[in-house]
Amino acid sequence: MGHTISRRNLLRSAGVVAAATTFGSVLTACSGTGAGTTGGDLTMAWWGSDERHTAYQKALKAFTAKNADIKIKPRYSGYDGYFDKFNTQVSGGSAPDLVQMDTALVAAYAKKGVLAPLDEYVGKSLDLTGFSKSLLAAGTVDGKLYGVPSGIGVNIVTINVTGLKELGLTEPDKEWTWEELKSYAAKIYKASGGKIFGVDDGGGSTNQAFDIFAREKGQNLYTADGKLGYTRETLEEWWTYWAEMRKINASAGGAVTSSAHNDLTKNAVVIGKAMITFDSGLNNSGGSITGATLDFVPTPQGGWSGAREGNYVNGGVLLSATKRSSRVADSVKIMSYFAQDEGAIKDMALLRGIPPTDKARALVAPEMTPNDKRASDAAAYVSDRVAKATDALPAPVAPPEGANQITELLFQSNLAIAFGKKSVKAALSEYFDQAESILSA
Amino acid sequence: MSVTTETLHKAGEEPPAAAAPAGRERDRERERKRAARRRAGGWWPFLFLAPWFIGVFGLVIGPMLDSLYLSFTNFDLLTPAQWTGADNYTRMFTEDPNFWQSVRVTLVYVGVSVPLKLALALGVAMLLNRPLRGLGFYRAAFYLPSLLGGAVAVAIMWRQIFGEDGLFNAVLGWFGIEGQDWISSPDTSIYTLILLAVWQFGTPMVIFLAGLKQLPKDVYEAAAIDGAGPFTRFRRITLPLLTPIVFFNVILQIIGSFQTFTPAYVVSNGSGGPIGSTMLYSLYLYKKGFADFQMGYASALAWVLFLVIALFTAVNFIASRYWVHYDD
Repeated sequence: MGHTISRRNLLRSAGVVAAATTFGSVLTACSGTGAGTTGGDLTMAWWGSDERHTAYQKALKAFTAKNADIKIKPRYSGYDGYFDKFNTQVSGGSAPDLVQMDTALVAAYAKKGVLAPLDEYVGKSLDLTGFSKSLLAAGTVDGKLYGVPSGIGVNIVTINVTGLKELGLTEPDKEWTWEELKSYAAKIYKASGGKIFGVDDGGGSTNQAFDIFAREKGQNLYTADGKLGYTRETLEEWWTYWAEMRKINASAGGAVTSSAHNDLTKNAVVIGKAMITFDSGLNNSGGSITGATLDFVPTPQGGWSGAREGNYVNGGVLLSATKRSSRVADSVKIMSYFAQDEGAIKDMALLRGIPPTDKARALVAPEMTPNDKRASDAAAYVSDRVAKATDALPAPVAPPEGANQITELLFQSNLAIAFGKKSVKAALSEYFDQAESILSA
Repeated sequence: MSVTTETLHKAGEEPPAAAAPAGRERDRERERKRAARRRAGGWWPFLFLAPWFIGVFGLVIGPMLDSLYLSFTNFDLLTPAQWTGADNYTRMFTEDPNFWQSVRVTLVYVGVSVPLKLALALGVAMLLNRPLRGLGFYRAAFYLPSLLGGAVAVAIMWRQIFGEDGLFNAVLGWFGIEGQDWISSPDTSIYTLILLAVWQFGTPMVIFLAGLKQLPKDVYEAAAIDGAGPFTRFRRITLPLLTPIVFFNVILQIIGSFQTFTPAYVVSNGSGGPIGSTMLYSLYLYKKGFADFQMGYASALAWVLFLVIALFTAVNFIASRYWVHYDD
């Protein structure tokens, strides 16, 4: 009797076995993740569209075929949450070795010691032949290179040619002014019988619109020591301009603007509410998001006396290496590969901006779609104009930490005016109070 | 203390050995040891509890203490934290208008959604607490949104429904009412989130239903004989008897809605906009911590939220003495 296994005993031993196996697997799982951060694979992170993911993977496959000793583990996603995740990974010590970086954030990360300076590799394993100095400025912080630009980015206005034709309107002139934008956009509203606004609201659009406007007045968004670089009068004039635009229906109201925030699929041109947009995302990350024929014109110029060239050339996205990575040298090889290898250049095409060098642009040109061709031509037009201009400010310094909060603040403040919640005057003083406190934090 | 140990000793003392046959004595001895072991439990129950201990210390208490420490620093996720004392807390209350904005939005959200949700849950629970054809189906159908509730997909669907070209405006259109973009208007956006919360009334409904099932039938019969109508029966019998359940639901829902994050994040594309109108507290906290490099400040925000929830719960418990009726 005492030697038969009771039900209780059976359960008891089964429980111990189960617990032991659970523990075993927990422990192995732990050691697995622990090894992942420093082990054989080089991790590379980027954000983008499906087209960009595919292109990266194709190029990386070709790279590993030639460099069998470097194994790459890709981590890719959309832009949403990309940097939230990156911050967490850096904090937890599991940051990717090689990372696609935003030109707006590179300075913040470089200053916090997250990114590795690349200068010692330049001219050796990092071949930057053909990259102009003003382009490299996009990845340069305090005189050191922290990221290799993927392509030329210029601020450009996208117009829906198909839609304009239907309304019987011809394209605007490339050398247009802000006043001409106003009358042209009002014309669109009239021609469409009050159904379509001219242009989406640029009043809260820091990078694509206000940036250029301020530079036309000789002011940058930020000074070299990380303060706001423009005056209260400049922003007041800007917001007043857009209030007037909304009033005459040349520009869409708050609801359209608000729903397009962080969501390109709700962009006023994409949903057919406007013909012109300051959001340059419609065509630059893998084909066009609309079926329409698009064309691209420079951001309007200042028509007032003393107005100067406001455009500049920046670096698309960047590739950067993280400082705590043990694989910086390997990451640099990959950067160099993307910068110079013919196959990689063709694979990426315009997916990371207009290619950065003459050689790369020539390689990509034959296979461009008509929309891409026009985008590329417009970028070349703007960058030519910038190169020739004698009155242009130097390219802006990399934005300080907190710049992304200011971008959001500008957007929401303009929106508050658009919704009639605040007067321009009230919005202005709140804006400057908050922006200054963000930048001094 | 000494009394207790003494008593324990006495209890543990061996009873005086009887003049019993040695064999039976040994058997009894063995039995006693086995029983003692059973009482003490041995080491293996702890093995089963270990995952819980690891979870609670590793994933709850440890991180909580860590965040308490971080709330007194300027930790930015990327560089080592520096002690800044109570700076984060004073900044929150004295110089951060966005903090107050998120507090206002959250109080509106909690204050409107919790009562509405509970009222609806109770109403539907009472409808479903009667013989009805296809009852199981209705119960499941009403509970379903609660299961889907936290999902990102549902929040995305909400965006579509209340967008300008959405289903909601289409339905309004049938009645000749011209809608607007409810999500993108600062006056209505928070109410779409409240509606989303109210729509997920399934969990409190199920709890109410369980409570209703336990109400004694004879009381109702007696009341009916005395001529009490349905409304009187509800007010004089159902509601008072149900107060413990109501109390339970109130506590759970208040805690839950203070912590709401996902719908606000998804519906506003992570911005809390338009113009801060959907900036729920948790969303603000998240943005500060993970997007703005202010994890120290975010930790302070989290502790304030924790204290506020604790305060609300405590006030509820105190107030409950005056309106919750237990059987005894």
